[in-house]
Amino acid sequence: MTDLLDRIGAVLVRGIVQMGEVSRLLWITVRRGPRRPVGFGEIKYQTVMLGVRSLPLATFMSLFIGMILAWQFGWALQDFGAKMALGYASSLALVRELVPTVLAVTVGAKMAAGIAAELGSMKVTEQIDAISALGADPVKKLVWPRLVAATLSLPLINAWSNVVALGGGAIIADTVFGVPAGYFYETYIDELVPMDYLSSEIKALVFGGLVGLIGCHHGFRTEIGTEAVGRSTTDTVVACSISVIVADFFLTMIFLPV
Amino acid sequence: MTAPGRIADRSARPAAEPIIRMIGVDKAFGDHVVYRDMYLDVPKGQTTTIIGPSGGGKSVCMKMIIGLLRPDRGRILVDGADVTEMGEEELRALRRRVAYVFQGGALFDSMTVADNVAYGLREHTDLSEEEIDAKVRACLDMVGLSDDLLDEMPSSLSGGMKKRVALARSIAMEPDVILYDEPTTGLDPKNIAVIGDMILKLQSELGVTSLVVTHDMPMAFRVSDHIAMLSDHKFPFVGTPYEMATSEVDLVRDFVHGRIADAP
Repeated sequence: MTDLLDRIGAVLVRGIVQMGEVSRLLWITVRRGPRRPVGFGEIKYQTVMLGVRSLPLATFMSLFIGMILAWQFGWALQDFGAKMALGYASSLALVRELVPTVLAVTVGAKMAAGIAAELGSMKVTEQIDAISALGADPVKKLVWPRLVAATLSLPLINAWSNVVALGGGAIIADTVFGVPAGYFYETYIDELVPMDYLSSEIKALVFGGLVGLIGCHHGFRTEIGTEAVGRSTTDTVVACSISVIVADFFLTMIFLPV
Repeated sequence: MTAPGRIADRSARPAAEPIIRMIGVDKAFGDHVVYRDMYLDVPKGQTTTIIGPSGGGKSVCMKMIIGLLRPDRGRILVDGADVTEMGEEELRALRRRVAYVFQGGALFDSMTVADNVAYGLREHTDLSEEEIDAKVRACLDMVGLSDDLLDEMPSSLSGGMKKRVALARSIAMEPDVILYDEPTTGLDPKNIAVIGDMILKLQSELGVTSLVVTHDMPMAFRVSDHIAMLSDHKFPFVGTPYEMATSEVDLVRDFVHGRIADAP
């Protein structure tokens, strides 16, 4: 029993320490990053690497999320003779919750793991020390563009994914449940208010920031050896998933106060 | 082993003022003590070599000099300024004057050779791209590499070439001091000789102060004005190559003759 409590305590302490380290990295990055030169070229490059290259996965994921959710709701609603309400039922869950969250734990985790692996390899081969030794700032050079790119990319991908998820839902509504795609679209849009889109985008923005920070943090603290790069990457995916879910809980509390 | 008779006695060179001073430095990683009350002076414009067993903390000494690692106690002065009290901005300014050549080269693998060498110039100067290109070519020429390598990626270079590109990157900013971290590790005898030539050439042509970390004794004897031997967390012997080769002190003789084991 004591062992178990010890272990739980150790995990909690490690989590709190990591939160502190990530917050410190955020503070340093926000303080040093915007200094001139801002590094638009590198931000643009990272946006392409992290964002644009994630579009195929994001499109695939959101199409299937839309189709699965429409199928689940359609199956439940048709028992009550309410399948025509499929658009109303699907829209809130998809836009406010499922699309940004599932996107963050899949596409976001992919981004974070990529960042951690890249920076971890640079750490192991002393390239990060070399940046410092050449009188440059590794936080400004490496963390800042990745943080900005991830924070900007995820909301953009989220907007696109919301459209694709709507399309996926419409396909299932029309072909499986006989709800015309046009009607599904009308009811889907009708249910949503601007705040729903806004909360979806704000969630994606926060998740994007978390993804960028956690990836950079784990990359920077990679220890010696190629095995350490693998460990950092795995830790990144775990930390990213947990952080996104916890952040989602608190954001939901904020956007949907009781 | 190099016979004492073949060691050039460079002690005839007048002792210069130290540009780097390490005073009472302690450094440990957890329970692992690397330095305890360590003192070392590096004379200006000359080459000092640190020798010692692998894992003994030779590279740690160099990383402390440019502030990549902080000592637990003690002072490290570079040109009179205390590195241990420097903030990030001051450290960045220091690192423009003190170049570090990493053991594995630490070339940026996503950049070409030209971009690697130009990195510091683009970061810290207002030179035009034409001027940077000319400077990059001159630096590569100084380390004996051809312009044909400009567009090559580091992954396509041999170990010796990588070290020379790293050296070219370091001298591009015209530093006052160059720190060489195990510059010959992993190289064949021909490339070891080439790197030795480079160190001597850069010192004579640019007048830089060089601090070399190595456990390659022939290399140490060849390039050094002074040799500092690391043992028991400090430098119990600092002298000229000739003094080292002819030393009667057991500890020094054991190291010169390869009878000291690596650090645990």
